[in-house]
Amino acid sequence: MKVNGKETTREVDPRRLLVDFLRHDLQLTGTHVGCEHGVCGACTVLFDGETVRSCIMFAVQADGHEVETVESLADGPDDLHPIQVAFWENHGLQCGFCTPGMLMATKELLEENPDPAEEEIRIALAGNICRCTGYVHIVSAVRAAAAGMAAERMS
Amino acid sequence: MVSESPTQSPRFFGSRVKRVEDPRLLVGGGRFVDDIEKVGMLHASFVRSVEARARITRIDTSEAERMPGVVKVFTGSDFSGKEVRCVSAYDGFQVSAYPALADGEARFNGEALAMVIAEDPYQAEDAAERVIVDYEPLPAVVDAEKALLEDSPLVHEEWRSNAFVERKYKSAGFDDAIEKLPHAVSGRFVMARHSGIPLETRAAIGDYDTAGRMLTLWTTTQIPYLIRTGLADAIGLPENRVRVISPDVGGGFGVKGQLYPEELACSLASIDLGRPVKWVEDRREHLLASHHAREHTHEATVYFDDDGVVHALEARIVVNMGPYSVFPWTSTMDTGMAMGILPGPYKIKDYSVLGFPVATNKTPYGAYRGVSRPAACFTIERLMDQVARHRGLDPAEVRRRNYVTQADYPYTSAGGLVYDSGSMIESQELLLTETDYEGLRIWQEEARAEGRLIGIGLGAYTEQTAHATKEFVQRGVPIVFGYETSTLRLDPQGTLVISSSIHNHGQGLETTLAQMAADALGMDIADVRVDYGDTAQAAYGSGTFASRSAVLAGGAARRASEQLRDQLARVAAHNLEASPDDIEFADGRVFVKGSPEKGYGFGELCRIVYHRPELVPEGQQPILEATVAYDAPPGTGTFTNATQLAVVEVDPGTGGVEILRYAIVEDCGPMINPLIVEGQIFGGIAQGIGSALYEEFVYDDEGHLLTTTFMDYLLPGAPEVPPIEVFHLETPSPFTVSGIKGMGEGGAIAPGAVIAGAVEDAISTIGMVMVGEIPLTPERVRRYIDLAQEAASR
Repeated sequence: MKVNGKETTREVDPRRLLVDFLRHDLQLTGTHVGCEHGVCGACTVLFDGETVRSCIMFAVQADGHEVETVESLADGPDDLHPIQVAFWENHGLQCGFCTPGMLMATKELLEENPDPAEEEIRIALAGNICRCTGYVHIVSAVRAAAAGMAAERMS
Repeated sequence: MVSESPTQSPRFFGSRVKRVEDPRLLVGGGRFVDDIEKVGMLHASFVRSVEARARITRIDTSEAERMPGVVKVFTGSDFSGKEVRCVSAYDGFQVSAYPALADGEARFNGEALAMVIAEDPYQAEDAAERVIVDYEPLPAVVDAEKALLEDSPLVHEEWRSNAFVERKYKSAGFDDAIEKLPHAVSGRFVMARHSGIPLETRAAIGDYDTAGRMLTLWTTTQIPYLIRTGLADAIGLPENRVRVISPDVGGGFGVKGQLYPEELACSLASIDLGRPVKWVEDRREHLLASHHAREHTHEATVYFDDDGVVHALEARIVVNMGPYSVFPWTSTMDTGMAMGILPGPYKIKDYSVLGFPVATNKTPYGAYRGVSRPAACFTIERLMDQVARHRGLDPAEVRRRNYVTQADYPYTSAGGLVYDSGSMIESQELLLTETDYEGLRIWQEEARAEGRLIGIGLGAYTEQTAHATKEFVQRGVPIVFGYETSTLRLDPQGTLVISSSIHNHGQGLETTLAQMAADALGMDIADVRVDYGDTAQAAYGSGTFASRSAVLAGGAARRASEQLRDQLARVAAHNLEASPDDIEFADGRVFVKGSPEKGYGFGELCRIVYHRPELVPEGQQPILEATVAYDAPPGTGTFTNATQLAVVEVDPGTGGVEILRYAIVEDCGPMINPLIVEGQIFGGIAQGIGSALYEEFVYDDEGHLLTTTFMDYLLPGAPEVPPIEVFHLETPSPFTVSGIKGMGEGGAIAPGAVIAGAVEDAISTIGMVMVGEIPLTPERVRRYIDLAQEAASR
């Protein structure tokens, strides 16, 4: 499988969850576990470009596929992706635990719909629970990210 | 012109500074307990009671012990006597012992009975399923009010009754007052059991160094030093051989501000096995065994005159605490706070109140953002709406007639709290103006004419924050959480570490503490790092809870930065042949007032102190370090206030409630960082919307918890939370450093009251009914609509 652009080959138990594989076998601990039953969205990663809950998928299901985690967005804190910049500037995170999932869900949304309305943002993020922000600043961040990515495409 | 000096107008205090902690969290570089791996680490899984109350007649671990990877299975007798006790100083308090693993009797559904240790977490969970427990069910005490009846079974057989303690207060003039007052309205107000539900569950790693005799506990806590004391006492270790580290924590909201049996068990298992033992709670365990909150039942009456002015309040407060008194709060916290704050922002003179924290066989009960104030606010605000209805007045007008006014501050409330300052009337007026309240009422009438069920709700509160020594002495807690501490250390490069006793898990304290300190030293916050969470390094103090970190640790950081500034000014003055009073700090330079060329770069001066001690004036330390522990006077807290408004639409068919508009005016004094303040307000309101509409731990009559997944315990998501309009007033505290007040909890206090008021208003066109129970699930709303129809047909 390909993880964050890198070919990765491992042998795992058939029952090993994708999220445990990412976090504990590949040390990609940016992806978080919030509920382990597919509701909260903290474990959201992109699977062949579409969001999935890595807590209710087995690692073996990713055989031959491409997975992107939050670590794929930036090389480090000095090189943030426009979505990350927008979350920073708009105070779109507090404790930061839901944030990786939110960022990946936002990435999928903005790739499909580069200029979403507020209602569309709220529906797109309906599967990602944030317990800190009340979503207000997250919605502002997604709108700002849309603008930031549009500007980047223009330049 | 020295008066124009930049140090006179702060550069960071008051600015919408982007948070310094964000980049690491944004790239997935946060370090949470579950991200930590230790060499030789084992993994724990707990076997939990399936009964609310049962005698444990046998635990058979033999099959589990034979499972692959299993190292050991512990049961209650292995940890016998290792338990959490938290004893209130109140007269007649009945003591409970909360065991690391239950031994003999299980007292709630979800209580840990056995702990399986294996090489791998999957193996530990597999083996936990093979532990066989024989239960002999005992009559469970579930309902707190029934628990107070004479014939109720006792949760603790040796107790006199199920009340941990009984508290009462009656003002001298109460009986006379109610005799003379012409009107009264009463109600029964019920807030369902729910909790903070941080997105990160709890986790712990016990790591005992057998040779060095040193226990390190990594844990998801808001209060590392208090956990260190509680843990050392409970398991019998010298405190200097215990280190507690709380790294990044994924939300706390109070639920991570208590000592838990699993923290004891991971420590004890590691001591026994000599290897690190990790446990990561799953969500089902969290819903079962992480402490619950909010379950209040109030019966209350207000007595008022013809003008709708309330003069007396009577209440009976019952809080369903579960079986054990939790450390460090005791089991009296909710009842005591509710008794104190129930009169709310109103000038109610006479007050009579009874309070019962009741032991039951539900999950133990601890803190959740706002602690009891959401319930108290719900009761008094719902009563104010009933007074309005009784007198034919608008709810806003009744409140206006009853608020504490500017002329009254400092005001001692009927509940004995000292409101230091505030802006009740001004906040309400601003809210009504900003939301065009009169226009809203006209629009509401038009919508009603079309048959829509539209309601408007209002709610106000005072939020006690930054309470310190005096408050906690009055509460009878064994540890008086009097102060928070900041140690500031400048290094030879002139960069600063603020080591603080608080913990930061979303509040932005790495940013706000830096803002508090940087201005005094003319520094950039990019050169400041805030350090916390590790008892081997952090300044000593209680941790983060009760909306007190910015005020107390921030005030301490400010005071300590002033000490460093004075010290640096003396060194500069000594070498520049000037008076220390003439030394100025700005933009990374330290110089003689009026002669910016005569001075040092900030780092240059710090390096002189450390590396050129011959240039330091005699009698002064050659290190740049200052520690301040700050106990904000008068110790009873500084009071933030707010008014909230909601517009809702009720669907009469489904009982669904849609929030069309939500607005708040908040007055938390001068804001260190308005961006962070607004984030806290929005987050609090969203949690309050959960309290109002969705969140509830449902138990059956035998005390089994029925809501153990996010499919049946519902959290508000982005579509359920409306855009929130926020407006500010900034009335400074007369007491605190920079006049700042705490505000972390406030948003969560009022939504229950506000939304219930709005729903009641919405269905009032069907019939008059008092909405006294939340959350307003569709089922409950439908029931209120049925009651309204019955009332109308009478």
